[in-house]
Amino acid sequence: MPSLSSEERQQLHDSLLEMLTDKYPFEQWKKLARAPGGESFGRAEWKQYADMGWLGISLPEAAGGSAGGMTELGIVMAAAGRFMLLEPLLGTIVLGAGAIERAGTAKQQELLGSIATGDLILAFCHTEPGAGYDRDYVTSVATKAGGGWRIDGEKGFALGAHAADTLVVSARIGSATGPVGLFLVPRTAEGISLNQAPAFDGRFGATVRLQGVTVPADARLGDSDADRLPIIDALIDRAAIACCAEAVGAMAAATDITVEYLKTRQQFGQPLSKFQVLQHRLVDMSVSTEEARAIVHAALQAIDDGAADAARLVAMAKVKTAQTGRFVGSQAIQLHGGMGMTDELVVGHYYKRITMCESLFGDAEWYLKRVGKLRDAA
Amino acid sequence: MFIRTVEHNASLDQFRAEVRAFCEKELPQSIRQKQARGQHLTKEEYISWLQRLGTRGWNTGKWPKEHGGLGWSPEQHIAFQEELGRAGAPPLMSFGPTMAGPVIYTFGSEAQKAQHLPGIIKGDLWWCQGYSEPGAGSDLAALKTRADRDGDDYIVNGQKIWTSTAHWADWMFALVRTDQTAKKQEGISFVLIDMKTPGITVRPIIGITLGHHLNEVFFDNVRVPISNRIGEENKGWTYAKFLLANERVGNVDVAKVEGNIEQIRALMAETREGGKPLTEDPVFQRRLAELEVGLATVKALMADQLAAARLNGAPSLMGAAALKLRGTELQQGILQTGLDVLGRHGMVYQHEALHAGWNGEMIGPESSADVVYEHLYRRAATIYGGSSEVQKNIIAKGALGL
Repeated sequence: MPSLSSEERQQLHDSLLEMLTDKYPFEQWKKLARAPGGESFGRAEWKQYADMGWLGISLPEAAGGSAGGMTELGIVMAAAGRFMLLEPLLGTIVLGAGAIERAGTAKQQELLGSIATGDLILAFCHTEPGAGYDRDYVTSVATKAGGGWRIDGEKGFALGAHAADTLVVSARIGSATGPVGLFLVPRTAEGISLNQAPAFDGRFGATVRLQGVTVPADARLGDSDADRLPIIDALIDRAAIACCAEAVGAMAAATDITVEYLKTRQQFGQPLSKFQVLQHRLVDMSVSTEEARAIVHAALQAIDDGAADAARLVAMAKVKTAQTGRFVGSQAIQLHGGMGMTDELVVGHYYKRITMCESLFGDAEWYLKRVGKLRDAA
Repeated sequence: MFIRTVEHNASLDQFRAEVRAFCEKELPQSIRQKQARGQHLTKEEYISWLQRLGTRGWNTGKWPKEHGGLGWSPEQHIAFQEELGRAGAPPLMSFGPTMAGPVIYTFGSEAQKAQHLPGIIKGDLWWCQGYSEPGAGSDLAALKTRADRDGDDYIVNGQKIWTSTAHWADWMFALVRTDQTAKKQEGISFVLIDMKTPGITVRPIIGITLGHHLNEVFFDNVRVPISNRIGEENKGWTYAKFLLANERVGNVDVAKVEGNIEQIRALMAETREGGKPLTEDPVFQRRLAELEVGLATVKALMADQLAAARLNGAPSLMGAAALKLRGTELQQGILQTGLDVLGRHGMVYQHEALHAGWNGEMIGPESSADVVYEHLYRRAATIYGGSSEVQKNIIAKGALGL
């Protein structure tokens, strides 16, 4: 897979940091997340990301993208973690775009251009009540109806589904035992009911009920009845490692602010940072973050290289990131003491974001099982 | 020493049955429903339940009989909390029965006992704890709120923080500095403050739970009668430590922990992965078993401390520290498991569901919002009542002589 040069990666990283430091301080986060009647993200910010080329970073050049790989997407997601961006990056540029690229016809690929320009927001509606983290559990059904499709089913909570233009919905073709197809369904289509809710970290999403939703024939990604579960599996790996990169960004920030806080907080006549037990805790937070960063980079690289063990490395990275993230996030609060328990301070929000990243698409226990399964399958 | 002071009790079966029957009959449907949904009670609802418990003396069953308690054994106290948890009743209030009460009956004057103990026994009054300050957290003795004598009163000025439910409180027990020149532990007095006194301002702190539980409390020339001081002037640190030992035993909140484990088991049963309930998943079976081992151990540690309290008038500071350390880690472990289950439902946090009258549709199991709230709230369990780091220092110094 193509990817950018080291210099270009550095430029990307710097431009993210520079602009977000300026435009996305915690006060801005609060404003967007808490706007009464709002969507818990910024439409104007989304357009800026498009203008900066971040939304198209890993899209093909034909779609107006930069043709980067997973590593570049990882750089964007790490910044999303550091600044706790609320905008629907995961559903749109990681999952939605990935689905269209992998499963879509040449005609459908044209939609990627609208993603790069910030004109198309997507949400990935695959998991269902009863699925847990299982990736193959699909009971929704799409049947042929009047030259198009009729879709019925129930989808679990998907981040960003409340505001997406289009939902990427998985459903079994023909019957409950048919192959799994992917369908582009307008969020406002008749027969769709959303239950919008806030997630743990303050972003919004929705569950989606589809009752007799009809879409045209070309709403299905691709033009065959091929089973898309293998593509979905790869897509979820892509989302999982993107969440890991995001978590690493948030872990690094949480560690930084905790170090700073302990340098200033005076107890027993000296800064807390003078206590060796706390110094060691901070060291463990820092080393944990570095461990996660290292293995996440390795997994991103493996995907870009098309390595045979890429999926297994992703699973391992998810395990390590989930475990270290839990440690870093909870210690960030612990070391802030009571201040860490307030909505007012940023640290609690990092805890929530890291925890969200840990749980999305599978937690440590789930990926430990997968590491074992993929070893046995190799 | 492999010895434990064992008190031989008659079977508690009859007592347990009595508590069950009581809850069955007396726990109002409205409270039962809210508890089941994890919705927060109003102060009025909470007080009305505590008053019902008060008719049987059950708020303060573990108090010695001479102070109006029932002289319960540790086992009976634990059994009582377990039955409350199982009945879906709110947990016992700790500020009055576990914290203020024992200090008052151990160190207070006859007049103070007569004034304050009946209200705690009957469950009429809400207490809060004025300990922490912005500059005095783990270093509690660094507190600055000052009380200066003026005739028969102290004039109190300063600020407390992280004051749980101060917005509900009728009374506060507080640590104030009465000698500005003494070494820091030696200039502190323990006073009881009527929260209706002019000059007190309570300001809410919104927590990471997105709920209002904590407060800042400001004192601006607040007149507190000197007769509200417990024990001797400048000896408050002694009473404060006595209270902390009780508080830390209370922090373990066995009824709540018991209820949480049951709640998490139900969540697992209601949550499927690949179509199969998590109760069939060996990983979750193992984690549930580990939590049960943790609970059994913490209960045993707790029984030791309650026995020590009965024999010596107070739990040991070191024993309470160990119990608090492990008890709060257990609480966090349970709620973490709950959160891991909820990850399977997308990690939704419909916090508005915690308020009565919410009529949205819950995503995932009915208790989801409550479990998330509890998870977030219990992040503070290893911070409040003296952080885990402080507990370890106490054990290092006190028990290991380091």
